Amino acid sequence: MGSALENFVNQVRTMSASGSFRELADDLPESVSLLARNWSILDNVLETLDVQQHTLGVLYVLLAKLHSAATANPEPVQIIQLMRDFVHRNNVEQLRFAICAFYETCHLFTDYLVQKNLSILGIKIMARAVDQIRQIDSQLTPIHADLCLLSLKAKNFNLVLTYLDGDITDISTAAAECKTQQQQQSQHTVDANNDAKYFLLFYYYGGMIYTAVKDYDRALYFFEVCITTPAMAMSHIMLEAYKKFLMVSLIVEGNIAFIPKNTQVIGRFMKPMASHYHDLVNVYANSSSEELRILILKYSEAFTRDSNMGLAKQVATSLYKRNIKRLTKTFLTLSLSDVASRVQLSGAAEAERYILNMIKSGEIYASINQKDGMVLFKDDPEKYNSPDMFLNVQTNITQVLDLVKQINKMEEEIILNPMYVKKALGSQEDDLTSQHPKTYSGDPTD
Amino acid sequence: MQSNKYNDLLDRLENEELEQVELGAEVYQQLMAIYLYQNKLANAKLLWMRIPDKLKEDKELLHLNQLNLALQNNNFAEFFQKIRYDWSECVKPTMEDLLVKQREELFTLTGSAYVSIYQNNLLQMAQMTEDELKNAVAALDWTREQDGDEVIWLPKAKETPPTGRNDDQLLKLTEFVTFLEN
Repeated sequence: MGSALENFVNQVRTMSASGSFRELADDLPESVSLLARNWSILDNVLETLDVQQHTLGVLYVLLAKLHSAATANPEPVQIIQLMRDFVHRNNVEQLRFAICAFYETCHLFTDYLVQKNLSILGIKIMARAVDQIRQIDSQLTPIHADLCLLSLKAKNFNLVLTYLDGDITDISTAAAECKTQQQQQSQHTVDANNDAKYFLLFYYYGGMIYTAVKDYDRALYFFEVCITTPAMAMSHIMLEAYKKFLMVSLIVEGNIAFIPKNTQVIGRFMKPMASHYHDLVNVYANSSSEELRILILKYSEAFTRDSNMGLAKQVATSLYKRNIKRLTKTFLTLSLSDVASRVQLSGAAEAERYILNMIKSGEIYASINQKDGMVLFKDDPEKYNSPDMFLNVQTNITQVLDLVKQINKMEEEIILNPMYVKKALGSQEDDLTSQHPKTYSGDPTD
Repeated sequence: MQSNKYNDLLDRLENEELEQVELGAEVYQQLMAIYLYQNKLANAKLLWMRIPDKLKEDKELLHLNQLNLALQNNNFAEFFQKIRYDWSECVKPTMEDLLVKQREELFTLTGSAYVSIYQNNLLQMAQMTEDELKNAVAALDWTREQDGDEVIWLPKAKETPPTGRNDDQLLKLTEFVTFLEN
């Protein structure tokens, strides 16, 4: 046994020294089981390797260590320290030869931390790992999902939000990475199947994180991406995302948000499995808070099972607010007790509290007259002539301009892609007008 | 500028939280106080959820959490009641700033949300004595009316001063027009 490990160390050292990283990366996956079997003396192996010079070797030792974590039961602090050391001092050029193994190591590390209830300590490590491995800032990697999971488990979103706020324009998948590296090992094909899982998980977790920080618009977008991912079969991640999507869209828009037509999966599989949630949407449309309350009570078991009870309560509150908002469209003045009876609140005092909160958050424009117990509903005082509004418009314009630039850039990439040119030219011969490449270059500002 | 005051400290504390296992109550107290001051209520709520159970018995943290709940529910009366507390040195300045800020907010809000408000209700909300209130209200130029035995205040809505950055605006507009023309 000892000599096999010695062979491993020697192989890593000589091949790293001669710079044949590709060959090393091809050979190493075979040693994982050997390393995992010898978990008790892996620390000795680590001592003979240097993170900078032998990144690949250390990576596989780490992988083996995590694989054997269940039997070896190592000190969590030690594993965390090793990982932290690794992500801070490794050699990225070498790492690129074994991206799949790196992804797998990160996934195992995340599972391990979640299991040990130490998620908060992994957030910075995963963030650093993401920074290292992605080629551009807007690239999505499978470890983004791990970062989100750790943040959710630790309930700490400060760091992860910076990663979520940016738009994604490129995706790095284990499948693509393996293909370029010509690796056909069985464990990697398993990993490749998980690409879709990590993509969906990223958007599902991301949506949950935005819901937690009450950025419902952005949450809705994340859930939408998750459920509109082209698919032949339904993933359970998509189903859960669909349930949350329905609830968040009630809070944001008051009905089911627009869903693009190319998603047959929703109609065929998800709708029947989310019937409770569709009932909720239907009752919500009746605008009766009383009915909604009864329904939520009736389904409370199902909602609690799905961990959606908190969201259900938010939906209930949002209906009160929506009803008050509707009153502002019909009435100019109304007594507080009338407001209470119309939106089914308990009394004038509660109505006043709701209205005050809504004025504070800028949802309605009104003033309360305590002397006569009346509310005066006003129009939006925004005349679109203030400097603040101008600034607002400006930032929006800048955003749109950036978006246009981005689209132009991506379009250029497509036009220059040999595959696309071949296809476009080929179909051009069949049909000169309809498949013309010009159709792709529509200017979005027109 | 005001709300930037604690940003450096906040960064440091957040980093500390991400890297260490056993933190003292003090770090959490300061974090919580700053979140409250910056009106990041969702953050404060999440912070409370991730504070280890054994620290949740800390009196000051409990108190801070009650403040957060009051703010989340927009319950001014409870907030002003709870903020009167003998805070320890590490959060004291933040709490004083928070009190001033919330007072200001309360008067801005009532100024825009009420045409008239009974003095009793206002006193209840602001948790002030009559004299304190009189001074605060006088500074805002509100009108006083008598309705039977009760005093009613007629608030005057505040006008926000325009912020002028004309050169900057002109530059942006030029940029935009250039874009449209190309």
